Amino acid sequence: MGLADFVATAAGRLMGGRGNSSITVPVMDGPLKPNDMLETAAAVLEEPGIDNLVMGANGLLASAGDRLLRLRAAGADAPQTPASFNAEIMSLAAHPDAAVAIGLDGGGIRLLAADGTEQSLVGGDKINCPTAMIFADANTLLVCNGSRTTGARDWPRDLLELGRSGSVLRVEVASGRVETIRRDLAYPAGLCLTPDGSLIVSEAWRHRLVRLPADGGAPVSVLDDLPAYPGRIVSAGNGGYWLAAFAVRSQLQEFVLREHGYRKMMMAEVEPDYWIAPALASGLSFKEPLQAGGVIRLGIHKPWAPTRSYGLLIQLNDDFAPVASAHSRAGGSRHGVTSVLPVDGNVLVTARGAGVLMRMDSRAFDDVSQSGEKGSVQ
Amino acid sequence: MEAATRLYYRYFPEKLLGEVLTKRWSDNLVPAFAVLLVVGFFLARDPGFFSLASLTETSRQLAEFSIIVMAMGIVLLAGGLDLSVGSVFALANITALICMNLLGWPVWATIAATLAVGALCGAVNGFLIGYLRIRAFLTTLVTLIIIRSIVDIILLRYAVAISAVFPDSDFWFFLGEGNVLGMPVSFLVAVAIVLTWHVVLTRARFGWHLSAVGGSRRSAFNAGLNVKRTVFLTYVWSGVLASASGLFFAARLGSAGSDTGVGLELAALTAAVLGGNSLGGGRGSVAKSVLGAIVVLILTDSMVRIGISGGISSAILGGILLLVVAIDVRWLKNRHKILNKVYVSPSYFKLPEMPETDAGSGTPYALNDRLREVSLIGKGQIEGPEVVIFDRHDNLYCPNRHGDIVRFLAPDYDEWEIFAHIGGHPLGMAFDRHDNLNVCVGGMGLYRIAPDRRVEKLTDETNRTFLSVIDDSRLKLADDLDIAPDGRIFFSEATIRYDMHDWAYDALESRGNGRLICYDPRDRSTRTVLRNLQFPNGVCMVGDGESFFFAETWGCRINRYWFAGAKKGTCETVVPNLPGYPDNINRASDGNFWVALVGMRSPALDLALRKPGLRKRMATRIARDEWLFPNINTGCVLKFAPDGEVLESLWDLGGVNHPMVTSMREHKGYLYLGGLYNDRIGRLKLKDADPDWTSQEFYWGAENGSR
Repeated sequence: MGLADFVATAAGRLMGGRGNSSITVPVMDGPLKPNDMLETAAAVLEEPGIDNLVMGANGLLASAGDRLLRLRAAGADAPQTPASFNAEIMSLAAHPDAAVAIGLDGGGIRLLAADGTEQSLVGGDKINCPTAMIFADANTLLVCNGSRTTGARDWPRDLLELGRSGSVLRVEVASGRVETIRRDLAYPAGLCLTPDGSLIVSEAWRHRLVRLPADGGAPVSVLDDLPAYPGRIVSAGNGGYWLAAFAVRSQLQEFVLREHGYRKMMMAEVEPDYWIAPALASGLSFKEPLQAGGVIRLGIHKPWAPTRSYGLLIQLNDDFAPVASAHSRAGGSRHGVTSVLPVDGNVLVTARGAGVLMRMDSRAFDDVSQSGEKGSVQ
Repeated sequence: MEAATRLYYRYFPEKLLGEVLTKRWSDNLVPAFAVLLVVGFFLARDPGFFSLASLTETSRQLAEFSIIVMAMGIVLLAGGLDLSVGSVFALANITALICMNLLGWPVWATIAATLAVGALCGAVNGFLIGYLRIRAFLTTLVTLIIIRSIVDIILLRYAVAISAVFPDSDFWFFLGEGNVLGMPVSFLVAVAIVLTWHVVLTRARFGWHLSAVGGSRRSAFNAGLNVKRTVFLTYVWSGVLASASGLFFAARLGSAGSDTGVGLELAALTAAVLGGNSLGGGRGSVAKSVLGAIVVLILTDSMVRIGISGGISSAILGGILLLVVAIDVRWLKNRHKILNKVYVSPSYFKLPEMPETDAGSGTPYALNDRLREVSLIGKGQIEGPEVVIFDRHDNLYCPNRHGDIVRFLAPDYDEWEIFAHIGGHPLGMAFDRHDNLNVCVGGMGLYRIAPDRRVEKLTDETNRTFLSVIDDSRLKLADDLDIAPDGRIFFSEATIRYDMHDWAYDALESRGNGRLICYDPRDRSTRTVLRNLQFPNGVCMVGDGESFFFAETWGCRINRYWFAGAKKGTCETVVPNLPGYPDNINRASDGNFWVALVGMRSPALDLALRKPGLRKRMATRIARDEWLFPNINTGCVLKFAPDGEVLESLWDLGGVNHPMVTSMREHKGYLYLGGLYNDRIGRLKLKDADPDWTSQEFYWGAENGSR
């Protein structure tokens, strides 16, 4: 931190929280106006830990814990398990030639060919936290390495440590050579390519989507000040994008991030499950921190209550402006949306916190966005 | 580092700052400080100013000036403004001189005539402003000019004649130059007037009406006050006081100069506002006016002494007025914000390591599902049944948040009726020997409902703590009670710093803000028996006739207090380290005691209790709904032995049937559960309990004939 930054922070803090010390969180309004769409969406499959969805050449694939699942988009049948690994699968990417790249927690990236043969593409020493991957072409795999210090389970620690050690890497499939596109990112947790070939990365701890210029220049923000932590982002195919936000921000969270003494003591003395930190699922133990609005009154858990976990899926247009969203609010269960995949006019969504795969009609989002626009005009 | 924090929060009276700011007299602190500053400055610069002769002369001027400022203060308090005080002062001066010097009236007649002239001027103002509703500023500006013109006309005609004659009256001379006990007469009279008006404004009906009208005209009107007459009277009194001041001036100097009282309204207004009287009305006092008068008088006098010319000193005075008006506006606007920021004053509190509660841990706190089998009474029909209690005919009584006592009728509890209405939020309940229902009502105090539904207040105040800043004699949050065999009622008051609906702030503070109070029906006295408790809550007699258990909610412990016997007055912790926040305590049929844990501790909050600064910043910087909070969504019921050993626990994981437990009562083999934020009462069959046991009969004996 430079002297100017330090002075600005100190002054902001003294003046009751301005600038960097501001703990305001944008409200969910306009296209992000809360609804119950995720809560009421059709469940296709209940599978604990179901996470990253990709469409492989031979069908739909998903990760769940250390297993790779092969699914039918229509659901119903029990999933097959073509492979399992000795570490948790953090991300998947489908190769055009029916192979699939598998990013493991602390274990690098493996390539599983269509015939079932498996090879190591990158070692765990180079990539320890592959939060998201895509193939740019048959020989190029783009990888988000969320953090140099943490893995799949303890991403809240990276947030509380104010982690800025993430990077976006380019892996040459043929040689396994790894090249850094950009480092010092705040937990990059999703990436996609625009039709003109530029790279968009969601930088979770800075609550924004950035465009990484091809020449290695500074990231350019395309969508910022999100009220949530953005995760994986996929192209919708027919224009626009889907963004899975795995948790939402809260004033208390922003406050704790600026209370360095408490933050460090909490990490040192309290079990991680009970930290003041976002989570994929909450309400599992009474030891979790509760916020005042979350108190059940007359038998009702208010849906507006501040919550550690939340379900949020955002539809973006071609310019990465939100146009619609689907929610599962406090008191609901379909929290921790980590992955989304458009399939034949539907979108498949995983709520990892609840272990549910859902199918939603993408036309339902048109209704939401239209009513949202009407609402904003009137 | 943590030790330093602990010591700081233990010994530094941080909460005093907030408490002082809640006081109306805290507004006086700034002007009082200004007095000290000004006096100190001129003492250092010009010691001659404080010689006896000088002080005597100054005190005469001060007497005249502070009466004028007080007149201005009274008008300001009622929301008005009187610019004509200077002219009235001059008119009174000339009137008195004419009466004495030209007409040769006796002194008493002169005084009466002068005051009458002042009253008349004030009445004109008051009529125009109070009854005709013309703007105070314009009206008094016009009367300022008109009265000044009258003075000038009189002066033209009689000035020479007045100066030619010297009144031959010892009393008149005494009034102007005399001393009593070494102090000028006018000064003593001014002191008397000041004291009288202080009593009027703070203790008398007229003074309260003034504040009410100034604070909010519309509310005062709606409350039935005669607003017009009150406003009218303020101007009359302003005129009378201004003329009294003029009278002293006439007696002192006897001169009919044309510059008498010129610019006095500016000085008086500056002094009144500088003292802390609000220009907007509703806030002001005599003390403020006097403080302001002292500062302005010393300033103007001293400016003369150190040779600042009249024009410049007026400009300085005007500048000060502008400054204090700006401060007044900003202060009024931001005072409650400052208060919000400083009133909440968390303290350091370190809880021991939380006991194990995991299902397999083997402790008495191990999680289970025993409360899941509860059946529900009155689901959706009742709001906030904090406690439940039974009469001798098995009818169930519980309070609701509307201030009613609801009675569910035995034996099936399907039908219910409102037994009595008290108001507030009734919390703890206990039957006494004569089947009266004694109720602690949050926000009101201790009440008793006779079997014939007659509601009677037992007490709503206790003795005030010596040297306490906030008035802690009123009961703010009477919480739970139990009755000693001799009829004395011991009850807890959870906090003295917050009202019922702000109890969350008390959780944030986690300081000992609560107390135990004893009401003695024999002489109807109320006194505090134990102070500085961390949200004392449930109270339950041990049964030995000389002690009771009480729970300290934020302290996560249960204590025993002896009110009689060999250990009288001692307090011991019986269950020190609970995994949650204890609420009500009641007897069990097997000789043990039930205690409800209203919520469970969470490690993040336990840690925050060791960080008072963090909680303070949290309170000021983030919305209340976002605060870190005791987890009161999960609760349980514990049973403990009289020696403090915890025997068993009953849980409802996930809070499906009974999300919150604030109390429980065993009755004929069942356990009944209440919850402050619940819409239901839980009922659980106890396996090994005596099916005939009732708390009422156990404690007070079978139906007695003394009824």
